[in-house]
Amino acid sequence: MTERIQKQLQNLKSEEYKSRRSDVTLDITDDVADKTPLMKSALLFRANLACEDPIILPDDRIGFYRSKMVGATYEGENSINVPKNIIPDYEMMLTKGMDQVRSEVVEKANSCDDEQKDFYDSVCLTLDAALEFADRYRESAKKAGSEELYKALCQVPHKAPETLLEACVFLKFIIFTLHCNRNAQIPFGRFDQYMRPYYEHDLKHGISREELLELIEEFFISVNYDGDLYPGMQQGDNGQSLMLGGCDKEGNNVFSDFSKLCMEASLELKLIDPKINLRVDKNTPIELLEFATVMTKQGLGFPQYNNDDIVIPGLVKLGYSLEDARDYAVAACWEFIIPAKGMDIPNVTALSFPKIIARTVESKLNECNSFEELLNFVEKGINEECDKVIAVAYSRKWEMSPYLSVYIRGCIESGKDVAERGAVYNNFGFHGTGIATAADSLAAIKEVIYDKGIYTKEELLEALSLNFEGYNELRNRLLSCPKMGNNIPGVDGIADRLMDAFSNALKEKEDIYGRRFRPGTGSAMYYISSAEKVPATADGRKAGEPFGSSFSPSLECRLNGPLSCIKSFTKHDMTEIINGGPLTMEIHSSTFRNDEGIKKVAQLVKAFIDLGGHQLQLNSINRDTLLDALDHPERHKNLIVRVWGWSGYFVELERKYQEHIIKRTEFMF
Amino acid sequence: MKKAMVFSIEEFATYDGPGIRTTVFLKGCPLRCEWCHNPEGQSTKNQIIKSQNGCTGCGRCVKEARFVGKRIEYTERSIEVCPNRLLRYCGVWYTSEELVDKIGENADILNASGGGITFSGGEPLSQHEFLFECLKRLKNKTSRAIQTSGYCDSDVFKKILSETDYVLYDIKLVDEDAHIRYTGVSNKKILDNFKILVESGKEFVVRTPLIPGVTDTVENLNGIATLLAENQVSYIELLPYNSFAGGKYASVGMEYHPSFDEGLRPQPHIDIFEEKSIQVKIM
Ligand code: SF4
Repeated sequence: MTERIQKQLQNLKSEEYKSRRSDVTLDITDDVADKTPLMKSALLFRANLACEDPIILPDDRIGFYRSKMVGATYEGENSINVPKNIIPDYEMMLTKGMDQVRSEVVEKANSCDDEQKDFYDSVCLTLDAALEFADRYRESAKKAGSEELYKALCQVPHKAPETLLEACVFLKFIIFTLHCNRNAQIPFGRFDQYMRPYYEHDLKHGISREELLELIEEFFISVNYDGDLYPGMQQGDNGQSLMLGGCDKEGNNVFSDFSKLCMEASLELKLIDPKINLRVDKNTPIELLEFATVMTKQGLGFPQYNNDDIVIPGLVKLGYSLEDARDYAVAACWEFIIPAKGMDIPNVTALSFPKIIARTVESKLNECNSFEELLNFVEKGINEECDKVIAVAYSRKWEMSPYLSVYIRGCIESGKDVAERGAVYNNFGFHGTGIATAADSLAAIKEVIYDKGIYTKEELLEALSLNFEGYNELRNRLLSCPKMGNNIPGVDGIADRLMDAFSNALKEKEDIYGRRFRPGTGSAMYYISSAEKVPATADGRKAGEPFGSSFSPSLECRLNGPLSCIKSFTKHDMTEIINGGPLTMEIHSSTFRNDEGIKKVAQLVKAFIDLGGHQLQLNSINRDTLLDALDHPERHKNLIVRVWGWSGYFVELERKYQEHIIKRTEFMF
Repeated sequence: MKKAMVFSIEEFATYDGPGIRTTVFLKGCPLRCEWCHNPEGQSTKNQIIKSQNGCTGCGRCVKEARFVGKRIEYTERSIEVCPNRLLRYCGVWYTSEELVDKIGENADILNASGGGITFSGGEPLSQHEFLFECLKRLKNKTSRAIQTSGYCDSDVFKKILSETDYVLYDIKLVDEDAHIRYTGVSNKKILDNFKILVESGKEFVVRTPLIPGVTDTVENLNGIATLLAENQVSYIELLPYNSFAGGKYASVGMEYHPSFDEGLRPQPHIDIFEEKSIQVKIM
């Protein structure tokens, strides 16, 4: 890492920049009173930019930092419903430059029907505001003596960039302005694809790879500023995912030296943004997986792996064209979306499998004479629940967002705002939370009630309703039943049926606009928030206890190990449930301590890909996990620590040994 | 068919031989190394392990326990009644067929990585008939490794070797008296079997635990280096002791009182090996 980068990291971490921010609220209620919704949005955007004072940080070449905590507002404004979590068409904007985009819009405005005039006028107004703001920034840079930034701003955003620096500044400007347009959670999409031409341009012009690495590092540092202003569910959840690798529209692998450089930058910086995602497939070289494993070692939880062999055919099944499917990236967390073309809402809400199970068991168990009958009721329950989540999807109304519409293909062409289905794809996606908890619960009922008759239905129902109070032994028996994650055909087969029910129910529900409903395996915050309301379940989970995160074993399950876990979670045909949501596995950091360990973890990733897994997130277990395990041993029954050629369950070690291990991890990172 | 008690099956063992391996830990060991870190691997009896953490002290397990003099013996009922699931049997009985079926499920992943199965313990050779059955069943399915102290009769060792692809061989102390003092047995058989191993032409690696003041002395490491050099062995793995070794004793109702000073740093003395052109890897 260069000295310059070290200094910039220090600047970031000192948080001194936050003190430059001030509070201002500009009320524009009167200005927008008689305006159309489109115009209102455009005027608010302009006012927000007007509130911003350009901030020029010392030694910084990237620019565009927020100076205001809050900007303009008007009565009745509702930022909750502003479109978000989609990937703008960076490529188009970068290749054309904003002046050209503007003149195309003006042309459209001059030749369109009255109906569309309002839309084009609003778009034009936002582009003018954005350009005017960029000019203001340029002059400030000049005044502050920020030579390189000034020079870059003489080119962009008006004209298309030529150098990588200009492209970085332009990109930062786009993201900044979208944030000022209140579009939250704007991921980077396929960064290594749309930025690569500028990288290669610079190389050709004699700039060294090291200098360009430094520049990308600077850019990555700069996107860590202001992350706190755009929180999702919690700090850090600001949607800045960045995809690397994958294939082009013809299916050729496009992982390049520049992709690798981006990984190197992330590895050196160890910052939470951007969150690196990697597209992989059966042919991904093991060396790349090994390098990615070195990143995992840092304990930041990325890269997240996305398997093209599964995701692309899965998206095609959902109606995306093969070309578009090949262009996929991820939204804020893990949802697979198409950059520039999708106004999909992939995280409308979650279908909670355990909730359905709990409800069905409570009301139907008594009348079911066979396990199959019970399972049929569950499947019916899933189908009914799908109607409910679809109703939630329909109730989602977006506010007009003309500035964002510039960046979504189909909108300018059709004269329709993104909020009005102007985009090419306007599908909905749902998380599927707690699959393992649900499958485990049914497997336990099958074993203790139907197969072995160890308990009566009444006993079980009573135990569940009392949250196992006074039913310890029964609960222990439930906990020792087969669990998903140990490669046991019975329980994994039940999970199969549950996922099929989810997929099949949604398949039939395409609406009159051709919008599809995408089933997924993610959990987002629902593995905690939805779990809080779910009573005790028959897998032995107590009321309110969390489910596993996303597509992962339940916390109550004692795992055989990562191999069985991978087998369990790759059995289902994942192309059928492809909204996104990773298998999350934790590996103790000591495994990563030498090359041999790194190689083996990479081979584990390869096994996951080859077996047909769709998405994987590996965590190197760090200190925080261990500390949590001290206080909550019940949550970490599977935490294995391997030291000196032996392993043990962390929670079974004596306290002093646990403390010792924790102490040691202090030196690991 | 032979049965044996297994105290752990570790998937994704990354330090027990080449590639990704599944390591099977068999219960029972004729040695009593002072520094043993797998106390539950020593006895062939199936002890009940009680985890100390998360215990609310409700006493249910004790109510169901037996007392042998002052010593407490938990029962199967104790396991069933603990509301926090803190007790478990540390061993599970397997026939060789059951075991091979279970670990064989992941052979595809193991083989793709150039790995396989490793039998460890305890001392896997102490249940050699069972081990032999397992190794035979795994033939042509995956790579078969054993991790052993080498303490067994030569005939047994040869027989097992004939069905083994890779050996992780422990050499702890070259001096016989010291070996008896610290492990409870003579090293004669171990050194004899080492010769057999070298002559067999099988792939193997020698491993030495570095116990401060016990095995890490210049004298002992010199002896080991000489032994290796004499046998044209040019690579060794050293496993430095760390004070986690005693971590599991309490949970099996045992006490850990090593006679050496745990606080000392183990000394690898790499130069001793390098002088003899032996490559050292510290694990
Ligand atoms: S039953 Fe469990 S919680 Fe109660 S005293 Fe025994 S170990 Fe502790």
